[in-house]
Amino acid sequence: MSETVFAQQWLGKATSSRARFLGYLTAVAVIVTLPLVFNDTYWRTNLTVCAINVLLAIGLDFILGYAGQLNLGHSAFYGLGAYVSTLLIVKLAVPFWLAFVAGVAFAGLAGTFLSLFAVRLRGHYLAIASLGFAVIVHQILLNWISLTQGPLGIYGIAPPPALVVDGTVIADFRNLTAFFYLVAGFALLSFLLLSQLVRSPVGETLTAIREDEVSAASLGINAAAWKVFAFGVGSAIAGAAGCFYASFVGTLVPDAFFITEAFNILAMVIVGGMGTLIGPVFGAVLLTILPEVLRGLGDLRLVVYGAALTFVVLFIPGGMAQAANAVGERLWRRRSA
Amino acid sequence: MTRTLRTLCTSVAAIGLLTIGAVAQAQDKTIKIGALFPMSGPGSYFGTQDKQGVELALEQINQTGVNGYKFAVHYEDSACSPLPATQAAKRLIEQFKPDVIIGEECSDATLAVMPIVEQAKVPLLNAGSSSIKITQPGNPWTFRIMPNEVMQGINLAENAYRRMNARRAVLLFENTNAGIGNAQVFKENFTRLGGKVLAEIGFGRDVNDFTAIATRVAGLGEVDVIPTYTLEGQGLKITQALAQAGVTKGGGGNAIQIGTIWLPFGFEQKAGKAALGYIRIVQFDPTDARPVARNFVSAFKAKYNTEPTHLNAHAYDQIMLIADVVKRGGKDPETIREGLAATKNYSGVTGSVEFDKNNQNVKMDTIHYMETKPDMSWVSLKWN
Repeated sequence: MSETVFAQQWLGKATSSRARFLGYLTAVAVIVTLPLVFNDTYWRTNLTVCAINVLLAIGLDFILGYAGQLNLGHSAFYGLGAYVSTLLIVKLAVPFWLAFVAGVAFAGLAGTFLSLFAVRLRGHYLAIASLGFAVIVHQILLNWISLTQGPLGIYGIAPPPALVVDGTVIADFRNLTAFFYLVAGFALLSFLLLSQLVRSPVGETLTAIREDEVSAASLGINAAAWKVFAFGVGSAIAGAAGCFYASFVGTLVPDAFFITEAFNILAMVIVGGMGTLIGPVFGAVLLTILPEVLRGLGDLRLVVYGAALTFVVLFIPGGMAQAANAVGERLWRRRSA
Repeated sequence: MTRTLRTLCTSVAAIGLLTIGAVAQAQDKTIKIGALFPMSGPGSYFGTQDKQGVELALEQINQTGVNGYKFAVHYEDSACSPLPATQAAKRLIEQFKPDVIIGEECSDATLAVMPIVEQAKVPLLNAGSSSIKITQPGNPWTFRIMPNEVMQGINLAENAYRRMNARRAVLLFENTNAGIGNAQVFKENFTRLGGKVLAEIGFGRDVNDFTAIATRVAGLGEVDVIPTYTLEGQGLKITQALAQAGVTKGGGGNAIQIGTIWLPFGFEQKAGKAALGYIRIVQFDPTDARPVARNFVSAFKAKYNTEPTHLNAHAYDQIMLIADVVKRGGKDPETIREGLAATKNYSGVTGSVEFDKNNQNVKMDTIHYMETKPDMSWVSLKWN
């Protein structure tokens, strides 16, 4: 039996519905356990940042890894979600969850709007267009001072209101553990949604467009509409990450959404494994935690971090997901032998 | 006799053990200082220079200790940005458990860290962030040595109007928290005195060519002063562009560039003739004749073989002020906070320190003016 068939068998087993169910159960258990293991505010902060970055990475992976759209402007949707929700709360006293929905919707609509124009572009051209969009959004956030406060920043942003049922506080989001559960729970739900989408005919359609748009069109697929859809969904998830970011950090300045952030998110997707959904989750966790773990190295920290990234891209071009598959395949072969 | 000898031996042994214990305890007495400095990214030059000042101060105070205490510093890279600063502050507080924290340099990062130190009840001693929001309203755990943007702006506007007889100004500033804040304070106070602001020109940190801006300024007619708020890289290009456009003294014009604390020493040499007549506030005057300043300059030169900058001096002052508080009885976060708040007329390298009810240093002798001379050297104007 060829290696490919072995791999397909292994992957087939791994992605069976039972395995998926077990996977989700494990994810829930991990999310519940993590703040209990890492019980100081520093590590709980890092866990929450991980969860925010997971949202960003899976959103971008849906656009890039499944629909094949080279989007270098993901930081723009992240920033739009953060600013729209915060401005609604601060200036119009809109309740948090209503502002959250508005922030997500605005970011999703912005993604849809961008892709309506950029849908005819591919590869480098789309990359430049999306990068340009990110620059424009950053400049608006920076220079529309009367609305956004620009570089003067918005400070003292409150966390989401406590969850109260019958006068009893179920979750107070000033507490880091509760906040982590909120963001990680939302990230898990988003993952579930995207996972269902990519395994449905929608995912197959997007993959077909990614692989060969002309052939997909010959089968009657409206590639433009599906690309707009992917952009809309991915950017809405980035908007949600932005809403959580603002209420978590409590401070909002435009530079948090500069184009370098878009490249950080892209690195999470590539290091994790583009087009695998689970890969970017691990990519986001690794690239959030690694710089923190390396703090002990002092000035060498970012040198080691950069070297680690280069190593992954050079020797594991398919990212962590590819490495995990290779290990799984080897284990399967050994078990069968 | 045997019994007496045994008692004596036991007593000697007990005293010896107690002494060893006491010595060990004295050596264990350490004031832990957490340092939040930008050590990566565009602001990393802050962190590098801050570290030099801190290391020099530590070397000096740890020779003898203060009240039986030694001092230890743990650095964290806060990257001049809110989220990394938040992560660094939490790591510092959780893992190092400092008695006091110094830093950050950038206002955005300091403002993000302030609620964290307040919650942890650890005093934060800041020297480099100018935003007024840090001390107004501020919080009981955050102290600032340097004069804020309002103090500097009012002083600069008054000196421009009264000492330089300036009546027409053009404001050049980077679009950042500090840039906009500084420019607005100057404008309010200069116009209040009777001066006129002909134009307010803001620009992003990504602008590299200032020819268009300089040409616009040249087209505004007679200009007396050009308050400029930007970091060194852009500052050099602005100064050269204004001289090339014939606006400033360095290019044969009449206008004089002025500014608050933004540019390091050595700016004049890099800018060349274009910097002629530039008057700016510095937070450290290396010609200061006070012994504390002279000793610092000579010790710094001996250790690093170079002239100290205001960043070196600020960091040095932060550690020395903490040592002074420990000398006055500070030993943990709460007593150090109380000691800082009670500071009166502390004489540091950059000037005096005395905090108001918002924990802002109110002493104006930390504001030093200097003017660039034709040979690119500069003189201290002794305006405060």
